[in-house]
Amino acid sequence: METQNHIDVRERPPLSNARLAILVLLGAETMLFSGLIGAFLVFRIGNVTWPPPSHIGIELPRIVTGINTALLLISGYTMFQAWRAIQKEKVKQLRNWLLITGVLGLLFLGIQGSEWVQLIRKGLTLQSGVYGGIFYVLIGCHAVHVLSAVIWVFTVLGMAIAGRFSAEQYTGVDTCTIYWVFVVALWPILYVLVYLT
Amino acid sequence: MSRFFFAVTLLIVVMLIVPTYLEACPACKTLDDPISKGFNFSILFMMAMPFAVFTVIGGTVFWHYRRANREPMD
Repeated sequence: METQNHIDVRERPPLSNARLAILVLLGAETMLFSGLIGAFLVFRIGNVTWPPPSHIGIELPRIVTGINTALLLISGYTMFQAWRAIQKEKVKQLRNWLLITGVLGLLFLGIQGSEWVQLIRKGLTLQSGVYGGIFYVLIGCHAVHVLSAVIWVFTVLGMAIAGRFSAEQYTGVDTCTIYWVFVVALWPILYVLVYLT
Repeated sequence: MSRFFFAVTLLIVVMLIVPTYLEACPACKTLDDPISKGFNFSILFMMAMPFAVFTVIGGTVFWHYRRANREPMD
């Protein structure tokens, strides 16, 4: 009888395991990009002329990438709106914002891919010295992260269409939003470092 | 024993005579060429990052727990 009177109170932890896990993942990602940025700084500061004399004629597409940066920043806003929508139980809005975010991410990748094709045609390849090497490794690593974030967003969109989220249960949207914001916030730093300095 | 003192003395003399060899370290601040500056800046940047990461993660955990303690129990 004693067990019948027992009230099972399961306290929700202040910080969910999923959020803690994504924070640890982002900590590791930050260290990865720190290493790559550190390598870039050695080459950038270590060379008196940048780009090096062997790549003088090759100009990085600053304006197009600037527009691309704006697209990615807008996608950060739309992802935030998706997160706000599910908190208010607005599932339809959640789907729409997620779709817009995913499309903006794909657009970013498409524009960046076309830039890369043009740069390769001009002679900037992975093997063409430290300039090409660090450019493709650093920017390519970010592009891979954007691609994985886009896949994640479309997975969450599929789950939203299947009705898996509510105002009380939205861990998938929550973690995806944190990851997306990280990827978006990282890009302006890389853009300024690689394209503008 | 005298051999030991001779070896230590010889080592100290060698270290005093050829101190420039110690400057092979890329982080030495006395070197003024661009590549050393690049290494210095990069090392300082990467040294700062673990502290930044732990501060952000620790700060977030602390903030969540503090907020939970302030909220009244249901």
